[in-house]
Amino acid sequence: MAIANLHLFLHSFFTAHQCPVIHNEGGVLTVQLTEELDKALMNRPFYWHYVKSTGQKGKPMELTLITNPEKREEKGEWIHFGSPRLQQIIRYLKTTEKYTMLFQRIKTRQNTELHPWLVTNIKVSYIGKQKRDELFSIGLNLVNGSMLTEFMKQLEPLSFQSSISNFCYTIAPLIRLKSGYLRIESVLKQYIENQEQEWANASHQALDDELQMLKHFYTDKPEEESNQMKQEEEEIRKRFTPKVRIEVINGGLIYIKKQQLQQKTNSG
Amino acid sequence: MSNVLIQCDSTFIDQLEGHINSGNKLSKWELFSMAYEAEATTMSNNFDGLLSLKYLPHVDFLPHQIESATQAIEEMNGRAILADEVGLGKTIEAGLILKEYMIRGLAKKILLLVPASLVNQWVQELHEKFYIPVVAHRKNYAWEQHDIMISSLDTAKRSPHREAILDIDYDFVLIDEAHKLKNHTTKNYAFVRSLKKKYCLLLTATPVQNNLLEIFNLVSILKPGHLGNHASFIEQFGKDRKKLNQDAFLKQLIQKVMVRNTRQNTSLNNTKRNIETIWIKFSQEEIDAYNEIDSMFPSNATFSKLTLLRELCSSREACALSLQKMMNNGANLSSVMEIIGALPHHAKAQKTVELLQQIGDKKVIIFTEYRGTQLYLQWYLQQHGISSVPFRGGFKRGKKDWMRQLFKDHAQVLIATEAGGEGINLQFCNYMINYDLPWNPMRLEQRIGRIHRYGQENDVHIYNFAIEGTIEEHIMKLLYEKIHLFENVIGHLDAILAELQIDDFEQEVKSIFTESTSAGEAKIKLDNLSSIIEQTQLANQKEKEQHYGNS
Repeated sequence: MAIANLHLFLHSFFTAHQCPVIHNEGGVLTVQLTEELDKALMNRPFYWHYVKSTGQKGKPMELTLITNPEKREEKGEWIHFGSPRLQQIIRYLKTTEKYTMLFQRIKTRQNTELHPWLVTNIKVSYIGKQKRDELFSIGLNLVNGSMLTEFMKQLEPLSFQSSISNFCYTIAPLIRLKSGYLRIESVLKQYIENQEQEWANASHQALDDELQMLKHFYTDKPEEESNQMKQEEEEIRKRFTPKVRIEVINGGLIYIKKQQLQQKTNSG
Repeated sequence: MSNVLIQCDSTFIDQLEGHINSGNKLSKWELFSMAYEAEATTMSNNFDGLLSLKYLPHVDFLPHQIESATQAIEEMNGRAILADEVGLGKTIEAGLILKEYMIRGLAKKILLLVPASLVNQWVQELHEKFYIPVVAHRKNYAWEQHDIMISSLDTAKRSPHREAILDIDYDFVLIDEAHKLKNHTTKNYAFVRSLKKKYCLLLTATPVQNNLLEIFNLVSILKPGHLGNHASFIEQFGKDRKKLNQDAFLKQLIQKVMVRNTRQNTSLNNTKRNIETIWIKFSQEEIDAYNEIDSMFPSNATFSKLTLLRELCSSREACALSLQKMMNNGANLSSVMEIIGALPHHAKAQKTVELLQQIGDKKVIIFTEYRGTQLYLQWYLQQHGISSVPFRGGFKRGKKDWMRQLFKDHAQVLIATEAGGEGINLQFCNYMINYDLPWNPMRLEQRIGRIHRYGQENDVHIYNFAIEGTIEEHIMKLLYEKIHLFENVIGHLDAILAELQIDDFEQEVKSIFTESTSAGEAKIKLDNLSSIIEQTQLANQKEKEQHYGNS
């Protein structure tokens, strides 16, 4: 579920933030920023400080982004995967869009029951000599405990809103959020344990080799260098000791119509 | 994976409960799923490969730069000596490596130590080419304040900076011009070794200059014990730098921590050097003045005489400045001063204007050894409607950058007195006039290196001025042309001079002139000197395997 179309991605980002689109043609997008986004992106704290202290209403800036490389000479900022502006937007998304609570949007005239799901998007990083990440999207039904993977993909065709639709009602969770999360975590740990561990073995090997060399280096050194040796040993351990880090990117509580999702994977 | 530590996310779920209970800062569906998409886009899918290339579509990296960066990361695990020859883009390789570690989230706290004169250039390159927001250290900046800082080694090692820096756990440390660390008894060396660092790059074009221990010392910063300990290293390999080429085992060990590209094995050969010697005739008045100075001093040449003759070959202004100084010290030279004052415009200056007109509206750098000449030339060019800006090694950093920019955007000519060794990069220019030649071939190579380097897209044209029948003719014919300096590249000469234990080439040449009793004797000695260099060159070429690093 990586970003497939950068232009669409940016367009959605700004419209989701209620920024009026002034111009959108041929890979060039001009938007009127809101005050919130101006503060978040344009890096002019003094302006906003000044505006506030004089009691005036500030004027957020317009922003022109160019996603079509052929037009990169035009007025505006050329945006690609490495450009600081995109990185800034991505950072902003990751810090602000961490938690959610949503209800499936349903047009119905019948009473409809919504089940609570805990959704977690989790990055697992394997860090040794080198580093690799794996991204999981896991949903846990907080009533019956069933668990689904690739959860975001399953949610993609549905639409959600922050208030409950008419004629819908929610089932109260039987599993607390925290115990739900711990179940997800333990399944994930099991998965990690079963991964191939060549990368970890190679890192352990490199660690041992370097420590051996270090000892040899200091065989003819006087005592006073032992602090230096300890520090270098520490550096080697930091660089090579393999570890796995579990980090939740974002997650939340989502109420979804019963039987809406395909129950294809393991439960509990 | 029982032997691997798993770190869990201990805060997320409690935070989520808090947000749900308070109804605070809950995401809309669109933005929530966009954050997930963003993560899926920026994560590292594989252990191997450079993710950074995708992030830097505006830079055209050369194949050897990508290979070197990959090698430093994947095979050397982020601790390496980057030892490319001058002008092949060590900075680019280092930037690429740093960017990769940053993207993968492995480097956050970063320290770059580079010569003071290069700080701005590093900042600019890292910003423009790599989008790395590095901050140059200024007075009163706290070292903890910014994650990515750059400074000179001289500043960093002084109190109170030293203590503050040694307190910080760095993820990534880079030292440019690392040959300054080859001696393990210096403060620089001790300081760098005691830095707390995870990844570490040492950049140098000359990893071994004199003594094999130098490489031992550099490697011991990165990988203590890799070349054994001090005693065992000396016992096994001695100090002889030639061993580096002879001992296959040692070579192999060094290849595990050092990347070295040479011009010969990279595509940079594409841009050629066209070098032309331009012989200039003095006017009769100038010949008379030259002979006057020559005969004025006692038969055995003195240092002052040598200086004055060289200066006269450059400009009467340069010569007059020295004469004035000598007169202030009591010498009676007013008659010579008068002769000099009456000279017409210098033959070289006239030739310069002629040449510039031929070259047309291309950018040209003129190098001279003398301030006097620089001022005179600037005035003389202006008289002929040619715009120029001056450049001196002594300029402050800001002024240097400013002059470079003026030259790039407005002036046709840059007149420089000092290559500054580690000065500015002027790849946008591909014409150079060496108005007078330094007596140290290394300095000449550094001058050429300002324009003939990574980023140069055109063939470079270099014109060397020399005046017939003067001391310049000796230097040109007996030294430069004989050792084919202009065709060869710095890496080799550097090694050769070290091998011959010639520390100061200029001094060597000067003493030949001052210690000789006649011009003939000087000629023979100079000829001998260049013969030795020539022989060593030939011997080294036979050895074929010139580059001892990985390539």
